[in-house]
Amino acid sequence: MAGKSQLELLVQYQDLVLMLQELRDEAVRGIGFQVENLSRLEEAIQELERALHPRYLRTFQRIAARQHRPIAPVSRDVCLGCFARQPTSYKARAWDDSELITCEQCGRILYWID
Amino acid sequence: MQNQLLLGYFREHLFVADIDADTTAGVLGQLVEPLLKNSLIKNKTIILETLQKREALGSTSIGRNIAVPHCRTLAVSEVIIVVGISPGGVDFNAPDGEPVNLFFLIVAPPQDTHNHYLPILGKIVEIVRNDDIRASLLQCGTYGEFIETLEEGLR
Repeated sequence: MAGKSQLELLVQYQDLVLMLQELRDEAVRGIGFQVENLSRLEEAIQELERALHPRYLRTFQRIAARQHRPIAPVSRDVCLGCFARQPTSYKARAWDDSELITCEQCGRILYWID
Repeated sequence: MQNQLLLGYFREHLFVADIDADTTAGVLGQLVEPLLKNSLIKNKTIILETLQKREALGSTSIGRNIAVPHCRTLAVSEVIIVVGISPGGVDFNAPDGEPVNLFFLIVAPPQDTHNHYLPILGKIVEIVRNDDIRASLLQCGTYGEFIETLEEGLR
């Protein structure tokens, strides 16, 4: 976890939660890859929950209650969750670990990928 | 998934002909490198950790010298396929114990609006389970040979 921002930890958290959901899905399992011990993945998710600031985790879970994927990537200042354009000033603020930037239109946490 | 649609995902700059790593982590690092080099990701850490977490649950090798490492990650904005060739073969914890020579790295964003990720994953596994196509692909050393072989095999 060392060296990662809270936003990066949240991104990894969402990636792993989604991985767990997909690996439990029969359609995905049907492709034929071996999956031995999902409890390892559950442990990794729990470890991230412990590393996250409770306030950020609560925000993630609150958004997760209404959005299947609470974090949306942003490319060229466009939220790829709802395609709303974001103010240019948001990008600089996003790397300040003291706040999470959310999309004013869809409410997802924003993560700049470019 | 239509063959032509799948073929459209392969790119010469996302082809690594000389994987020389001898560990799972090393191979994943070399497969992810073109994404960074071509500015398709901002940093490698998140994607590599997610791929390694997936491998820890069971190798993504399907045996017979092939592996298909894959994950969804917020680190990318579109479905991307990187093809890697390890001429010497790598121990990738394959179910048959054989070294892996041909890798298909598939990464996709969570939103994947066209919903191509799982069909691509399934199609690639289906293709490489064909003995003739797989044998031909394993002989390829360049992108040109690879894409020509794949196109021919899918005809």
